[in-house]
Amino acid sequence: MKPSKPFTVFRAVALAVVVLALIAPLLWMIAASFKTNVDIYDTGKAFVFSPTLDNYDNVLQRANYVQFIGNSLWVAFAATLLSLVLGVPAAYSMSRFNMKKSALVVLMARIIPGVSLLVPWYYVFSNLQMVGGYTVLILSHMFVSLPLIVYIMMGFFDSLPEDLEEAALVDGLTHIGAFRRITLPLSVPGIATAGILSFIFSWNNFMFALVLSGADTKTLPVAIFDFVGYASIDWGGLMAAATVVTLPIMVIALFVQKYIVSGLTAGATKG
Amino acid sequence: MGLAACGGGEDSGGSKTLRVTLVNHVWTENIKKALPEFEKQTGLKVEVTQLGEDQLSDQYNVKLNAGSSDLDVMMYRPLQEGKQFGKNKYLADLTERSKSDSAFEFSDFQAGPVQATTYEDKVVGVPIITESEVLYYRKDLLKKSGFDAPPKSLDELKAQAAKVEADNPGVAGFVARTGKSAAVTQFSSFLYSFGGDFVDANGKASVNTEQAKQAYAYYGGLLREHGPENISTDMSWSEAMAIFTQGKAAFYTEANSLYKNATDPAKSKISDTVGFAAFPAGPAGSKPYNVPSWALGINDQSKNKDNAWKFIQWAAGKEQSLAQQEAGVPGARASVWANPQAIATYPKDLAEATTASTANGIGHDRPLVVKVAQAREIVGQPIVDAITGKDPAASADAANEAFQKFLDDEAK
Amino acid sequence: MSAVTTPVTRSPQAGAGPAESGWSRWANAHRKWLFAAPAMAFVAVLIIFPVAWTGYLSLTDAEGSVRAESEFIGFQNYLDVLADTDRFWPAVWRTVLFTGVVLAVEVALGMAIALLLWRPFRGERWVRVAILLPLVATPVAVGMMWRLIFDPTIGMANQVLSWVGIGPQPWLSGQSSALPTTMFIDIWQWTPMVVLILLAGLTSLSDEPQEAALIDGASTWQRFRHVTLPLLMPTVIVAILLRGIDALKTFDILYATKGRGGGSFHEVETLNVYAYGLSFDYNDYGVSSTVLIIFFLIIIGVMWALTYRKKGLDR
Repeated sequence: MKPSKPFTVFRAVALAVVVLALIAPLLWMIAASFKTNVDIYDTGKAFVFSPTLDNYDNVLQRANYVQFIGNSLWVAFAATLLSLVLGVPAAYSMSRFNMKKSALVVLMARIIPGVSLLVPWYYVFSNLQMVGGYTVLILSHMFVSLPLIVYIMMGFFDSLPEDLEEAALVDGLTHIGAFRRITLPLSVPGIATAGILSFIFSWNNFMFALVLSGADTKTLPVAIFDFVGYASIDWGGLMAAATVVTLPIMVIALFVQKYIVSGLTAGATKG
Repeated sequence: MGLAACGGGEDSGGSKTLRVTLVNHVWTENIKKALPEFEKQTGLKVEVTQLGEDQLSDQYNVKLNAGSSDLDVMMYRPLQEGKQFGKNKYLADLTERSKSDSAFEFSDFQAGPVQATTYEDKVVGVPIITESEVLYYRKDLLKKSGFDAPPKSLDELKAQAAKVEADNPGVAGFVARTGKSAAVTQFSSFLYSFGGDFVDANGKASVNTEQAKQAYAYYGGLLREHGPENISTDMSWSEAMAIFTQGKAAFYTEANSLYKNATDPAKSKISDTVGFAAFPAGPAGSKPYNVPSWALGINDQSKNKDNAWKFIQWAAGKEQSLAQQEAGVPGARASVWANPQAIATYPKDLAEATTASTANGIGHDRPLVVKVAQAREIVGQPIVDAITGKDPAASADAANEAFQKFLDDEAK
Repeated sequence: MSAVTTPVTRSPQAGAGPAESGWSRWANAHRKWLFAAPAMAFVAVLIIFPVAWTGYLSLTDAEGSVRAESEFIGFQNYLDVLADTDRFWPAVWRTVLFTGVVLAVEVALGMAIALLLWRPFRGERWVRVAILLPLVATPVAVGMMWRLIFDPTIGMANQVLSWVGIGPQPWLSGQSSALPTTMFIDIWQWTPMVVLILLAGLTSLSDEPQEAALIDGASTWQRFRHVTLPLLMPTVIVAILLRGIDALKTFDILYATKGRGGGSFHEVETLNVYAYGLSFDYNDYGVSSTVLIIFFLIIIGVMWALTYRKKGLDR
């Protein structure tokens, strides 16, 4: 079916509106991060202003953001990697053996309200002398990543035909061998998707990091609040901080958009 | 982590790393700059965690609740959290330490603030920052409307606000906090100046006395009649301050500690024309609050109390207090306020206004209870109702009943 | 999603067959649980204690500090909470309203956008990237960004309105406009997710029923209503399910824009925000735990109802 001419025009206009609505606030945020506070307060200077790098200087130099970027990267990376190690085999088993109830146990982590976890976790972890370090932070982020990875990978394995594994068994591979040598290599796109999404969700996590991170392990979403002071809000710094938090993840999204799309929609098409 | 004290006696083997949790504040910026000096003196390594006000209190709630020992020095709000922390024994008893050190001279601290950091006769904190309410106003607008002095009384304030508003379309006569909880502290000075208080001498709720009703009606009415158009009932200081510093209001009652937001040309359009005056007098005189907004305490579970105290001795000591005061952060030491050099950097009228509040100020700006957040919401309700045009007297009666029930519950 | 059909050349050296060790034989026999159990154990370990603790606290009058002595009071908290028409039920209502509205708008809007993107066109890649951006942006940062945009005095939103002659709106700071404004932010951030899910569903539909309907002379609307939509329904349910859980639990955006308590009139106080406030503002751990347990049950109930509905459609 070839779209008609009027439809093509209508579509172009409608999509332009959609894209503008989605992008404009972000562009405006980035613009604000290059403004002085007085310029931000002046709505007449929405577009015309003399850009300044002071806010970034504040964020990167004074507020120690370089370290926080490192923390965010490390926590998100470690949580993702460990979640993949635990989650991919689990999802495989749950998909192949149709373990719906067991899957629900893992997905419970996604359903439970995070507020109910904070104090008990802190209580346990501080008694284990683990609080303030990376370990507990990574564990809590895995709690976010793992259900996501299991959910996505189950959808992936469901759609992966079993014949290849069966053929491998005929060739004398063990079940685990077939999983390792046949299924895993075929799953790289799915694993990439799940990993990237898990990374993004971990990077964006606020509530767990707020109470479980220490002075040296603070992650970026928590550090944003450094610019809300008791006696002043530094909007320029805040917008620069928001940009610094958001930009890396957007750049990643740009490069790997194909994988993200297939991951977010995992399970959606299998009805 | 992992550097837990090796026990053995009264924390004699305290860690060399001291964990200090501070709020985002000019005070904190100043102290951080001076830290290397302290570290050099003592050989300690200070690890500063710095957070926004709400995030700080969230962290305390989780950590102190869990009985964590990984907080040593805590910056806290005596009036907001003091009673709660005291009741739950979160704060270490500093009575001995504070009184035995002659160089620290604990008696130098003003009596009001010290009272707020004392729980059941034990010193549990050292006040570091004080605040009082003053009147911010626009010199240029007042002059234009023919007033050569800021209002001395609340009646004058109303009259001047009305006149300036009429003379300047688009400019509100008056702005102040309007959020139910946020407004309570700034409203308290109005309440006291009308002769009321949140709780009477017998410990009973008293937000529906004649004086209190008048105060609610005045504060809400002033904002309703002369406040900004389409007034929001959710403004904390940042929103109200933005309106004032954008030149869209003539008068603004607010804590003196926020003055730099108005005088800093990088943040304020009206930095040249802002003036400060003592809180206008009501029927009971000018009775602004004058409170310790922040104090330093030590976590009772800390295994590093000796070193924590060393930090407090230094950070709240005379030298640092003077430096802070010079940098624009009002402190709690009497000797510093007596030192002309310390307040030389303040706008002159602000220093005068502050001195006036110190003289006749009231030592609390919110109900002194354990669950302050809840109490603020109860006694703040009539403020919002008055702003939105409901009957403040009826609302005050309802609030009083709720507040009395709250006090009874808390007394149990 | 990317169905993989790459042919694989079987490696000859893979035939380790009969020489299996005992461990290997055991592992293969028990691979089902060997694979699944660690992940399940991880979640269970992290979840059981908090849930049990929350359940226990909900039966006590714990307040102030969870380590302070508290009394066992049975189901009193539940009775109190369920009778609380001041904070609890309004919070339930707001949670339902918030979730309902954002889901309806996100699905409707998402469907429209997905249909626009369905057939290939030039620049498709860039449009998809643009759609992805709000979705991956950090929610707390997004909340801060919108807080500044919606500031009644200095924000961009009122500036834009003034260009078209509309007076300033209170947005986040108005008693009745705050909740709709936070809904708007949620819709801005999460409609893209619905678009992507529906788009994947659309792409997997076969063209045949469409063409048959076209030959029968069905209009565009009829084709959508009677052909596309029914086929897409399972995907729509998945989208609703995924978004629904997150919408019920919305926290970051509300915290960043309105702070604790959800404003002077609790105008954006949903169950999650209410429970947070009870814990961290009031230190009322008993009541807070009660609200959390009820909230948890509500989420499970909604989930169950939706999966049930989905199964019905699958048949």
